[in-house]
Amino acid sequence: MFPIRTERHVLANGLTVVLAPDRAVPVVAINLWYGVGSRNEREGRTGFAHLFEHMMFQGSAHVPKGRHFELVEAAGGSLNASTWFDRTNYFETLPSHHLDLALWLESDRMGWLLPAMTEEKLENQRDVVRNERRQRYDNQPYGDWDERIQELVYPEDHPYRHTVIGSMEDIGAASLQDVREFFETFYLPGNAVLTLAGDIDPIDALARVERYFGEIPGSDADPPPIPGRHDPGPVIGGTTRDTVRSRVPLPRIYMAFRIPPVTDPAFYTADVATSVLSDGRASRLYRRLVREQELAKDVAAFAFPLATGRSLMIAWLNGYPESDPDELEAGLVRELEGLQDVSRDEVARAVALSETRLLRQAEQLASRADLLSMHQQLFGDAERLNGEVERLRAVTPEAVREFAATTLGSDNRAVLTYLPGEEQG
Amino acid sequence: MNPSTNAPDAPLRSRATPPPQGPIRPFNLPEVRADKLTSGLRLRTIQRSEVPLVSAALVLEAGESLLSRQAAGTAVLTGDSLTGGTAERSGAELSEAVERLGTGFQVSTGWDATSISFTCLAERLDETLSLLAEVVVGASFPPEEVGRVRRQRLAALQQRRMNPASLADDALAEAVFPPDHPYARSLSGEPGSVQGITRDAALAFFAERYRPGAGGFVLVGDIAADDVFALADRHLSAWKGAALPLPELPTATLPGTRPVIVVDRPDAVQSEIRIGLPGPSRGGPDDDALEVGNSILGGAFTSRLNMNLRERHGFTYGVRSRFAQRRHGGTFKIGTSVQTEVTARALAEAEGELRRFVSEGPTPSEVAQAREYLSGIFPLRMETTAQLTARLAEVLIYHLPDDHHHRYRERIRAVTPEGVRDAVGRHVDPGRARLVVVGDAKRIAGELEDLGLGPVEVTST
Repeated sequence: MFPIRTERHVLANGLTVVLAPDRAVPVVAINLWYGVGSRNEREGRTGFAHLFEHMMFQGSAHVPKGRHFELVEAAGGSLNASTWFDRTNYFETLPSHHLDLALWLESDRMGWLLPAMTEEKLENQRDVVRNERRQRYDNQPYGDWDERIQELVYPEDHPYRHTVIGSMEDIGAASLQDVREFFETFYLPGNAVLTLAGDIDPIDALARVERYFGEIPGSDADPPPIPGRHDPGPVIGGTTRDTVRSRVPLPRIYMAFRIPPVTDPAFYTADVATSVLSDGRASRLYRRLVREQELAKDVAAFAFPLATGRSLMIAWLNGYPESDPDELEAGLVRELEGLQDVSRDEVARAVALSETRLLRQAEQLASRADLLSMHQQLFGDAERLNGEVERLRAVTPEAVREFAATTLGSDNRAVLTYLPGEEQG
Repeated sequence: MNPSTNAPDAPLRSRATPPPQGPIRPFNLPEVRADKLTSGLRLRTIQRSEVPLVSAALVLEAGESLLSRQAAGTAVLTGDSLTGGTAERSGAELSEAVERLGTGFQVSTGWDATSISFTCLAERLDETLSLLAEVVVGASFPPEEVGRVRRQRLAALQQRRMNPASLADDALAEAVFPPDHPYARSLSGEPGSVQGITRDAALAFFAERYRPGAGGFVLVGDIAADDVFALADRHLSAWKGAALPLPELPTATLPGTRPVIVVDRPDAVQSEIRIGLPGPSRGGPDDDALEVGNSILGGAFTSRLNMNLRERHGFTYGVRSRFAQRRHGGTFKIGTSVQTEVTARALAEAEGELRRFVSEGPTPSEVAQAREYLSGIFPLRMETTAQLTARLAEVLIYHLPDDHHHRYRERIRAVTPEGVRDAVGRHVDPGRARLVVVGDAKRIAGELEDLGLGPVEVTST
């Protein structure tokens, strides 16, 4: 399997095709990345990229409503899609003798979506998405944390200022005209990467892709620029704060930082630093705050691979019911700033864990296809995936120390505190 | 079907109909080798060399259903403290040693078993196994580790009580099972019981239930099966102990009358709905028919429930049903989260779908589609070393035949509409199903009462 070998082609209409044959099992993963996400949304239409993703499952010119899921499930396939800040991906994994079915469905909605769009379908999916928001945000303890964090980390004119799910009001305001414009602007072959990983013969597969996608017209127009100012600067410029009293079971502190975007080589340092902090029980945050000091019930940290201007690193911890929030915050700050004395062993441990995780991700066809799409979309080189472990290994303890000193200080910190109690106001 | 229409370069005659399928390539599960180590531990191995990884799971008959209500949570707490230290190393040193190898021991405790699993690079298997052996032979349960884990579990129980979905699950379990039945409580116990679990209790549970005679070991990945046997035997030879008998559980039966239980969550914007019953044990003759039936009712995206509540009415982001089958019985459950305003309508629709499904049974085309779905996604559940390991672990925990998964698709394809109707009828009685709603009582109780499904009983959290 490793290194993963791919063939890459660009159809006349601009669609980039990545073929990654692996014939061990008669299964094929199809993954389609569109270069559009919540970052592309205009004011008053937050959440639209995600609502649009839902509309992509409501049928297209030759596929009646409900048939998309039905056909893939009846073929023994699994399918879904997800919307994020920079992209929207659609994927299905199915027995390889049903490859044509997936290509037919994906090409039909890439080329012939609009004739199938109706007010009734939009109304239904607005309800579904508003219920998704209620379920995941409004009816959950801490459910609004990312809305609050994004507002603390990014200025008003940054495309990451608002969440992918969007506001209730904006979701409700979406119209069929919005669907049409969004489709015509962003759902173009030239703005997409199609990856097939698994049981394919590249020559045969390319001919099939050409057959289903080839007649979709391309466009000379580039998608419009991402709205707003992309680079707000390397640091927040102070410590921004939000304290929320609400019906939560335990006090919880989130801390977030601007970090270099995933397209910057320095992102790997941020990634390794995050693993040193929170990956496994020998990680700094677990070892010190959970195990030794018993300050936190649990801890976590993530470096998000975002591409537009500045990305985001988040660390959080849950206290115990009786914890003092100031002590929790001070403990977390101590460990983040303490990263300035990181050892060679700690970095080696973090890289070893990342290596196993990368192999596990690449082992599964669906996530392999997704990673290939990502590297093709962001770097124009799907096979760049093969160098990920080396890039992590190249991160030195000195670089992590430097990262901690320049990035994790009080001039680049957003602090969100949840305290148990009744909402005020 | 005319094969020529599926040539890759044939012109697309029409988009109007789904394309024909290509030639089927058979999927064969890799061969499983079965052995027994000298300690009595059952060993199952699969050799695969596509990826330089090995996944492993050590499964033990050390689940929560062994415990009385007073001791509830002991199995979970023992599992959580298992890597807290050994005769040779502190917990911190152990974590350091394991993670330096690029891996980690995941200890997870269920009703029937505790499983210790990991995935590592194949070249580091020997060292990882030596650490695993150190843990299962000599876990020392240092007092400070047990104390901290207890505190973490108590805080986690507090989190459960404020999460609407787990609140609904717990309220349903309590409504479905008699109070002396383990399944009536949440898996990790109750604050009163967890508070009383001592280090001695964890040590005793470990001594009694972490025994090779009552366990199984699964290894899947890039290693020759002969090597694996010698390797596992060498590392685990010092681990001793025969299986202890498993206690019988009380039988769960439900009277026909029932209240609609509303757990009040003032101002909630959604209501968590549950409909549930006691269900059959794992490994019975109806398992396959029930799996097909559940897929049609509420297992797949295109299930009756999801098409109704989500795609027709927009009441919810999604709805699912499932049979959770355990060693001694289990549950059948429908679950969804709906907008507060439509709570009563959504409950009526879900309850109605269940009744219709049980009385009329599925249509032949629904069964045909579900059979294709389940047999088609089967290879996707068997794709990675970790997935194969988990499937083989189930075979060991539930004492299923060794060819259980190898014959899965054959069995699923033999399921008929009549078979589904009969099996569902035997195990699901909608008239006895318990109904639980977690939501804003002042806005939903009246309409729920008007449904006439039972008297509404409001409780607060």
